Amino acid sequence: MEHERCYIYTPPESEGRSSKRQRTRKRDPQPQRAERLATYREIWAQQEDRIQVLSFPLFSMRMSKQYQAALEEADSATQEKIINFVAASTRAEDEPQLSIPTGLVVAGPSIASHGPFFVRLGQRIKEETNSRYAILTSGESPNLKTLLKNLITKITSRIDDDDEELGRPTTSSRKGLKLLNFDLGHVQEWQKMNRVESIVIAIQDSEAFDTGILIELIDLLFSWLDRLPLVLLFGIATSAESFEDRLSGKSLRYLEGQKFDVTQSDEIIEKLFSATIARADVRLRIGPGLSRRILDRQKDHVQNVQDFVDGLKYAYISHFYASYPTVFLQEGLAFEDLSSDVFEAVRNLPSFRRWVEGLLDDRRTHDVRKLLDSDQYLYEKIIEYMDRGQLALSMLSQAVILLTCIREALHMTPQIRLSTIWTRAISGELLGAPLLRETMLTVKKTSSDKLAHVLASLKELDSDENYVSLESFQQELNNLIENNKNSTPLRSQDDVRNESLRTTVVAQKVLLSKHKAALSEQDKAYSDLVAHFHDRLEAYFNAAFVDPRTLFLSEIFMYDLKSPHTEVFQPRPRFAIERALASPHDYLGCDCCGGDQDEATLSATLPATAVLYQLYLNAGALINVSDLWSAFNVMVGDKDAEDESKTMALFQRALAELKNLGMVKPSRKKTDHIAKAMWKGL
Amino acid sequence: MLPDEILERLNAEFPSREQQIQQLFALYSQHLPSPPLLVAHGLTATGKSSIIRAYLKVSGIPFAIVNSRECITGRHLLERIVASCLDALDDFDGGRIDRRPFARTENLSALAVNLQRLFGGRAKFVVVLDGVDAQREAPPTLLPALARFGEMIPNLSLILTATLPLTTALHKPGIPHLHFPPYSRSSLLTILSMHPPKIFLMPPSAEQFPDYTADLAAEDDAWLWGRFLGAVYDSLSKHTGRDLISFKLCAMRMWRPFVDPVIKGQFGTRDFSRLMVNRRFLFQMEDGVLDKIISAEPPAGAGTSASLIEKKRSRAVVHSLPYYTTHLLIAAYLASYNPSRTDVTYFMKHTDKRRNKRRAHSASALGVTKSKHRKIPRHLLTPSPFALDRLLAVFRALIEGTVPQVADLLTQVGTLTSMRLLVRVGGAGAADVLDPGARWRVNFSWEYVRALGRSVNVEVGEYLVGGVD
Ligand SMILES: Nc1ncnc2c1ncn2[C@@H]1O[C@H](COP(=O)(O)OP(=O)(O)OP(=O)(O)O)[C@@H](O)[C@H]1O
Ligand SMILES: [Mg+2]
Repeated sequence: MEHERCYIYTPPESEGRSSKRQRTRKRDPQPQRAERLATYREIWAQQEDRIQVLSFPLFSMRMSKQYQAALEEADSATQEKIINFVAASTRAEDEPQLSIPTGLVVAGPSIASHGPFFVRLGQRIKEETNSRYAILTSGESPNLKTLLKNLITKITSRIDDDDEELGRPTTSSRKGLKLLNFDLGHVQEWQKMNRVESIVIAIQDSEAFDTGILIELIDLLFSWLDRLPLVLLFGIATSAESFEDRLSGKSLRYLEGQKFDVTQSDEIIEKLFSATIARADVRLRIGPGLSRRILDRQKDHVQNVQDFVDGLKYAYISHFYASYPTVFLQEGLAFEDLSSDVFEAVRNLPSFRRWVEGLLDDRRTHDVRKLLDSDQYLYEKIIEYMDRGQLALSMLSQAVILLTCIREALHMTPQIRLSTIWTRAISGELLGAPLLRETMLTVKKTSSDKLAHVLASLKELDSDENYVSLESFQQELNNLIENNKNSTPLRSQDDVRNESLRTTVVAQKVLLSKHKAALSEQDKAYSDLVAHFHDRLEAYFNAAFVDPRTLFLSEIFMYDLKSPHTEVFQPRPRFAIERALASPHDYLGCDCCGGDQDEATLSATLPATAVLYQLYLNAGALINVSDLWSAFNVMVGDKDAEDESKTMALFQRALAELKNLGMVKPSRKKTDHIAKAMWKGL
Repeated sequence: MLPDEILERLNAEFPSREQQIQQLFALYSQHLPSPPLLVAHGLTATGKSSIIRAYLKVSGIPFAIVNSRECITGRHLLERIVASCLDALDDFDGGRIDRRPFARTENLSALAVNLQRLFGGRAKFVVVLDGVDAQREAPPTLLPALARFGEMIPNLSLILTATLPLTTALHKPGIPHLHFPPYSRSSLLTILSMHPPKIFLMPPSAEQFPDYTADLAAEDDAWLWGRFLGAVYDSLSKHTGRDLISFKLCAMRMWRPFVDPVIKGQFGTRDFSRLMVNRRFLFQMEDGVLDKIISAEPPAGAGTSASLIEKKRSRAVVHSLPYYTTHLLIAAYLASYNPSRTDVTYFMKHTDKRRNKRRAHSASALGVTKSKHRKIPRHLLTPSPFALDRLLAVFRALIEGTVPQVADLLTQVGTLTSMRLLVRVGGAGAADVLDPGARWRVNFSWEYVRALGRSVNVEVGEYLVGGVD
């Protein structure tokens, strides 16, 4: 009713709706949760497949054709190189090796993704070469002995290869002598039986290893090299140079090999983004705020593929869990499956209101009445508009992909990533933005060779959208180019190179005039073609770049809530503690100390720790405990009471709590002083 | 094999070691008694291990060699001694000794007992302990005890190899020592010119050069390699690494780029002096003597200075880190190198003349110190540790605008610590990485942080006390 400036309030008649409200059956707090869960599972499974395809290329054999281009670029190229390196390093018989073949795998600063990378690499190495593979991490290698023990068990254990010979355990030496458990002789015996071509030892986080241990390990492995076909792989987060700098000259001499650069995780993120969020055929979209937040976090704080995936999954979960109308995302939903609650919920959506108001503006009051009264009618509309919304969004995504592709084909600077363009598009800012205008201008000015390139790369996109008939454009362009006898490509009339500045001096005044060079017949024809292409594109973009948030039901097919995400993925523990101590009434909800907004107010009613915390904040880096006590006593203590013991107890407990929180620590600089260990707001 | 034949063969294989081979021959022959203990000492790559092994192989005496490098603890060494003696005896007689009695060798006395039992009533047996002086976790009594083994086990001869003579460590006078002195220039050249590498990896096409036979090629190889070795030794190896292995590696690394013009046909195989002039940059650069894991590509053409600069530049490549992580690293560097009392001058947000102030400060500081005493620039000193809160405070001062107090920041400190870009000092033993008592230190250089700063438009030098130029 907000659309009216003034209205008469009439209490709702007590029929129909209110009777519903009075229903006595216990309300289900989570109506149709099972359905929503099932829908979530179905939709997420699709996304997961796409993620799997991207990050585990070779293991998902059931991948569809569509993704193959994408997967080839992910880290499988690097893995391929490493595998070739391992395969090539199998030595020729009885030729002494001068150094251990070593691969420096520069995996970038996203440490969390090193683990999965090496696991995947190991699986491929085992599959494609006749090798043994063992991963060592710094955590399990505090010293050389433990490291060797782990290495030996990893190499000789037969957990994962079940088709090996059934025999006595390798640890019991055939020779009757028991080897110590860190003796590489175990590996030698194992090798005698299994005869693998190489034993690959991957040191996953080489930076975290103690340098001394690494040097000793290399020294030891080198002296075993005449008996064991060893290959070393070092996972490096910083750079190969800094790794070399850490080792001494002698151990460097024992190693020789290559450097392998793993795809930067921001590129993988970009791929994941376009495969999961910015696709044309996704049923549930992530809204602009959230996707910007996820991307920014990747850029600013962590570079971690797993975190990205988790964030996305959590968004999906929260969406289906918290909102009843999401049940409409289920495909093939019948009216009978739904309770009237869901329609009530839809009627409360902001986008429903906006839509209805729009209808009212168009004076379609009858429809509105029906929407409000008839669940059946609303149901039909919902189904219709869900489809429309999905279509609009997939068109938008398609247009974004197209725009990025055009920019790339024209080599426009600055290079803007698909993810950036997409987030701008979905927040509805793209139409009329300089980015789009500039691109369209450039399209207008392109010469024929570049346009051919653009058309070709658009064709590769292979979208089923027919915004322009690419075929006929290409055809026409080809005709023009073939007829062009000059060596220079054809130019359009908007091309600046067709304009020249002309200076004329008339009556001692310099006149600058722009002058258009005369266009040849072919250039004219070409200009027409370009202009046509440009107009078609423009019309398409204008239609596609809608603001999705204005669409009816956008709350259902787009999730854009910020707080669940930040609370889970970017918690603020320190801030929470500081805030709780600084303004405890926010949490306690008592009347005694709340009230005015000024946080720094001290009052005796605050909990003792909070009082002490305020005093602490006002103190310097070194705090005299006796001063602190007297200040505390003035604040909290009972002025008349002789006995201070109760106040003292409070004080001591408060101080102990601050100490427990790590805020103060004993200091040796001055007697009777404690040192401040934490400052507020850091 | 006849004794003379043995000597001749070994001398051919190991030139310039006649004396040592002769002594080994005199001390260890099948029928004459041998000393119970011999110490062979010499610097690295003087042929101790290889000559002793080669000699024992041809001498016909049963022997076992245990490499101390492969033994992780002292106990491990003892176990390995017994095991390799058993293996050697098995190999020697082709028999099979029951190993059950020798299952454990926990300490030196067990070793003595085991060896006594093993060698009782046998002929002479030589045990070589290679590099005992570098044994890890060796019990303090190891060497003195080994020195007395000969008294208990009459038919055992021990050879210990070490870098330095073991005179005092053995606590026993009169132990014979065999010294392997470092090679002189001429010996080095003789040894290395025994196996000259090829100039042409692919023999030149037979049609074009029909009379360039394999023999001729080998002659050319030897001639050029000999000259080249001399040049390498005089210009580089003499000053950097005179031992056989360093010299050899250095020469091998420079060989391919050196003969490159010959392969291309610019010079003949005997044009040594012109080749030297053409390739002189190889002898001016340090690439030949530096040990590297990734073998460097041979520098293209004669563009010497250009390629040098390019090398320098490519070394300073910085991995792209997330935005705030970069700032955290810069803040850590500043916290490490600036004294904390200057923080107020450098990082107070609301003094808008701070830049000028800072400049003036650093200029005057320099002026004063120059006259009084020379001061080492800060960035060349070791970094001093800082507390976590100081890092965070400097970080916030560096960043324009505010950063929410999210846990991600602390995660990044943890990550940087496990990447060893930050190193935790003190607060050791605490399970919590972010324990407030802990202190950190940076573990990267000024060049690294400068490049890092430039990637996010922060000129780190401006914030560094004393300034850098
Ligand atoms: N006189 C020589 N003639 C030919 N080659 C030699 C000679 N001396 C040493 N070498 C070669 O130098 C290399 C290193 O020798 P070796 O390992 O025996 O030295 P080492 O004295 O035992 O060194 P370390 O003290 O480091 O153990 C071997 O490849 C060996 O063949
Ligand atoms: Mg040796």
